[in-house]
Amino acid sequence: MKISGSYTVNAEQQAVWDRLLDPDTLWNCLPGVQKLDKTGENEYDLAMNVGVGMIKGTYEGKVRISDLNEPHDYQMYVEGSGRPGFVKGTGKIELADQGDGTTEITYAGDVEVGGPVGSVAQRMLGSVSKRIVDQFFSCVEEQINKQGS
Amino acid sequence: MAVTRMFGASVKRREDARMMTGRAHYTDDVRRNHTVHMSVVRSPYAHANITNIDSSEAAQMPGVVGVFTGADLVDDVAPVPCAWLLPDCNLKVPEYRAIAVDKARFVGDPVAVVIAEDRYQAEDAADAVKVSYEPLDVVTNQEAAVKDGAPQLYDDVPNNLAFQWKLSGGNFEEANQSADIRISQRFVNQRLIPNAMETRGVLADYNPGSGSLEVWLTSQNPHIHRLLLSAVTGIPEMNIRVDSTDVGGGFGSKIPLYGGEMIACGIAKKLGKPVKWMESRRENYVTTAHGRDHIDYVDLAATSDGKITGIRVEAYANHGAYLSTAAPGVPTWLFGTMLSGPYKIPNIECTMNGVLTNTTTTDAYRGAGRPEATYLLERMMDLLAKETGLDPVEVRRRNFIQPDEFPYTVATTLQYDSGNYDAALDQALEMVGYEELRKKQEDLRSQGRYLGIGFSTYVEVCGLAPSSAAGMMGFQGGLWESATVRVHPSGKATVLTGASPHGQGEETTFAQLVSHETGIPFHDIEIVHGDTDRIPFGWGTYGSRSTAVGGSAIVYASRNIVEKAKRFAAHMLESSPEDIDFNDGVFSVKGSPERSKTIQDVALAAHLAWDLPEGEKPGLEDSYFFDPTNFTFPFGTHICVVEVDAETGTTEVQKYVAVDDLGNVINPMIVDGQVHGGIAQGLAQALYEYAAYDEGGQLLTGSMMDYCVPKFEHIPHMDVGRTVTTTPVNPMGLKGAGETGTIASTPAVVNAIIDALSPLGIKHMDMPFTPQRVWEAIQERKGS
Repeated sequence: MKISGSYTVNAEQQAVWDRLLDPDTLWNCLPGVQKLDKTGENEYDLAMNVGVGMIKGTYEGKVRISDLNEPHDYQMYVEGSGRPGFVKGTGKIELADQGDGTTEITYAGDVEVGGPVGSVAQRMLGSVSKRIVDQFFSCVEEQINKQGS
Repeated sequence: MAVTRMFGASVKRREDARMMTGRAHYTDDVRRNHTVHMSVVRSPYAHANITNIDSSEAAQMPGVVGVFTGADLVDDVAPVPCAWLLPDCNLKVPEYRAIAVDKARFVGDPVAVVIAEDRYQAEDAADAVKVSYEPLDVVTNQEAAVKDGAPQLYDDVPNNLAFQWKLSGGNFEEANQSADIRISQRFVNQRLIPNAMETRGVLADYNPGSGSLEVWLTSQNPHIHRLLLSAVTGIPEMNIRVDSTDVGGGFGSKIPLYGGEMIACGIAKKLGKPVKWMESRRENYVTTAHGRDHIDYVDLAATSDGKITGIRVEAYANHGAYLSTAAPGVPTWLFGTMLSGPYKIPNIECTMNGVLTNTTTTDAYRGAGRPEATYLLERMMDLLAKETGLDPVEVRRRNFIQPDEFPYTVATTLQYDSGNYDAALDQALEMVGYEELRKKQEDLRSQGRYLGIGFSTYVEVCGLAPSSAAGMMGFQGGLWESATVRVHPSGKATVLTGASPHGQGEETTFAQLVSHETGIPFHDIEIVHGDTDRIPFGWGTYGSRSTAVGGSAIVYASRNIVEKAKRFAAHMLESSPEDIDFNDGVFSVKGSPERSKTIQDVALAAHLAWDLPEGEKPGLEDSYFFDPTNFTFPFGTHICVVEVDAETGTTEVQKYVAVDDLGNVINPMIVDGQVHGGIAQGLAQALYEYAAYDEGGQLLTGSMMDYCVPKFEHIPHMDVGRTVTTTPVNPMGLKGAGETGTIASTPAVVNAIIDALSPLGIKHMDMPFTPQRVWEAIQERKGS
């Protein structure tokens, strides 16, 4: 399944970049995150509790960030599995300075899901992913602004 | 024969009181002390090597009794058996482990089970079992799976081809070469998911002291399951009791023996404790056998005046990841033999490729093979009508087997017992008001509205079956049926049947039969079924066989009872049996009706045995084993009238007329219910239901929110009529009613929609006719 979207953050591009790549941000801003252990440069083990429709449960897996092109774009790879099934995704995140002190974050990725979350909840997955992404970026924005003030 | 009116009476279903008030004992209602509960860890991948299973955390969780993987149980539970071994078609039955060992082959394939003290603990611990997979390439479509280079499910099943089955009569090639008209069409008969109200489940209680296993099981055929459970667990057959008295529907999906049930039995034996497993609805969608899933390439040869000279089908059946219990027989014998329908087709050829893919297994689903045959044939009839310019009614009439031609042997070698196809068609045409409808259609077309009329003049094979035919077809069982009629000293009767009703109402209809034959009041007769410790061996309920075969055994046993009672009555009345009349439960001396004994009087005398007639034994009981000499062939005409809204693509069924000929009918109300339910299911295939997989083998329609089982508002009013053509195959002259609705209705609905859309140039579309698909097709035509 393809997912894509954009979100405009009220902050400078470099600040957004720094914040996005800070592991604390993942810990603080990813909804339902229960565990985050650094296993290498830009690599983490992650446990996250997510509900998609009636399929709720914890996914354990990995997050890897690669192809860093500071402060413009990077690749993100996520995989997780648990009783609700598995999720695998790769995506590209791009940052663009809007020239007015804001930064537009654009994301585009491909997500594969399987097991119960694939068979029962797949049609709700788009809206759930979008909600999680939006929550994440709005939290990032909040964190930057908190730091700035 | 007695002249009570029970045969033919719309007696209310006696089983309903218990079922509607929560007093039935479905498998999940049964409680045993010290029961432990099973939860199944299932593969989320459609095809993957299982590289590691870590159950250490799960094993430590509260209440957990044990965690078992496939490897742990290899010595305790044999592979899931396939019991329809097709001869002469290079059949390959791959090993089907109840819990996958090393490799998972569909989403939902069991990988491990957790046993815990309650179900919540079992489910929570199953969450904690960590399984590592190495995903493999996936194939879900049967045509793709047989191509070179496709992912292979098994090392020893090249091209995923489990079998290639052929049947032919006459010479299609010759017929095709000399044909005036040749029509070819590809049909997709989509995959469906059976939705019994009760999901599958089992409670297995092993007693290590006696070595016996009691199993409460959601089964349509408890004796077959007892036999197979004995084979896979090694527990002798006489030490296993299977009880399937109350089962909440099956539609074929509770014929097979599944892994879950086998594992529970194996673990019950291992632990010496009762093990319960009830499938969740979500599990049901991915693990209980699906139905249909054919791709059929059809060629039809005909003369210019619309007479069919031959039909050829080259088809691909998707069997899923393993061969389920009866799976190989469904798209072959139950499909290929029925390709003549009610028509005289001298040359028939069928090649069926049985294919394994990374999907849920498929097996019998209401109609099983016959809906697929009827669908393609009835669609071809409409294409032939279009090609010849004949009315769809006329093209059918020109090809019908005539009433005086029965018994009629079709090119596929089946011998049809009896039929009068025009009579059913005539009655249906009158009920629907055909001539006015065609006029109305013209008027509406001129207003840009799309009315369509669709026909299905079907014949089906029921009353499965002569055991010799079962053997010839490779079915690993017999298909006779048994009955015991036991009249107690009080004159009340217990009837034991090997048929296994699970919603069809035979506790009522069988009591009607016995009452009709013996004169014992309906309410004095109990029908016992489903419990292998109480009933004699029987083959169960499927293939519209319970009444045609099981009912026949009951009738013959009842008649033997009456014969014996007559001899007793003669003795008691100091007369001879030839001089005794029997009427409505009363034996009387011919010419002196005041000298009489009731069957209840005789029952008491036979049990007291103070004064037995010469050479007679005490008691009033008879057991009968009935093996029919032939199948039965119900038939009829279904007509569907639809209007398609071109703006939205929505189909509205305006009229539905069904005239079925099922031979004699014991209980018209119950038969109407069977017909209504069958039509609803067949119509649902035409309009709503479709089990969809994504490319990775994930079932996209894994719940009732995603898979459209029709609701009340989806089902139209139905006008049901009947003609009666009796069969000589059984003593009741009836043919079977369980599947006709499903078999007949799908093509009637589809033909109606295509007829509606024909002004747009649409000749064929595949099911289901959802508004979106219809709308897209209309847009495409309008755009071009």
